[in-house]
Amino acid sequence: MADEEVDELRAQLEKYVGRPMGPPSEAPDPVNVPMIRHWVDALDDQNPVYLDEEFARGTRFGGLVAPPAMLQAWTMPRPKIEGIAERGGSPGEIPRDNPIPVLDEAGYVGTLATNSELEFVRYLRPGDHLRVTTAVESISNRKTTSLGKGYFLTWVTTYTSGEEVVGRQLFRIFKFDPSTIGSRS
Amino acid sequence: MRCDEIAVGDELTPFELPVTSTVIVAGAIASRDFMPAHHDAEFARAQGAPDMFMNILTTNGYVARFVSDWAGPEVQIRNIAIRLGVPAVPGKPLRFTGQVTAKRREGNECVVELAVRAANELGDHATGSVIASLPA
Repeated sequence: MADEEVDELRAQLEKYVGRPMGPPSEAPDPVNVPMIRHWVDALDDQNPVYLDEEFARGTRFGGLVAPPAMLQAWTMPRPKIEGIAERGGSPGEIPRDNPIPVLDEAGYVGTLATNSELEFVRYLRPGDHLRVTTAVESISNRKTTSLGKGYFLTWVTTYTSGEEVVGRQLFRIFKFDPSTIGSRS
Repeated sequence: MRCDEIAVGDELTPFELPVTSTVIVAGAIASRDFMPAHHDAEFARAQGAPDMFMNILTTNGYVARFVSDWAGPEVQIRNIAIRLGVPAVPGKPLRFTGQVTAKRREGNECVVELAVRAANELGDHATGSVIASLPA
């Protein structure tokens, strides 16, 4: 098991727990068939409920639906391609009032995604226009793992269409200091 | 697949995905993920990865496809919860396997719980559980 300790940085990070990771955002486009087709072709997913209107009408869905795992794709921010590598891959500027830049500045620059939990309340239909809010769910104490010392950071993204919650995603990353690899607490 | 054709302990039809650079890039761009680690091998290596690697949206997309290829188009996936392990990289096929771990009736729906795993020669890429329903 990972060694665990409470330290000063963790105390500083406490203020972020339960708070939004950034302002709410809106999907650039409503759920639409061209993007569904692009995804279906990329993953060679033959499920006819995604593109065969007539078939889909005869199913429990009553019409075309989007592949459920596209949930996050609808609300991905529009990228600024220039400089994306220099920003470490971030599509745009990272909001400042957020635990990630605080951890980066303290030397915890490594990022490893560890868990994803998607909940689909219902399948999306063309025309659904999603909005998202993201809140910090938890931040662990500092732990020592095989990658070095760091903190597990968990956030929950809530997806709504109009007033209706249509999905949620819990996402957990380990933010670590690569220079501490092999160290003990 | 009908509810009465499914029993706890059943194996999902295994699926092997030949992971190539094209598979990774196609999934990344279809999910609007322009992170260079998912299309630029040099960038990925500089970050400590062995090669460019599949993004998580695409992994979840293949898990969903694996489930609906087995269960059929009437399936409605409710949850996909995965723990992420080794990266999915070009030249290392990903093998998807799964098993039915629970089945219950909820009103006019038949709810199944599945344990799923996607692994390559480096180890487990994603392991976890899926909850899905079919018309009862």
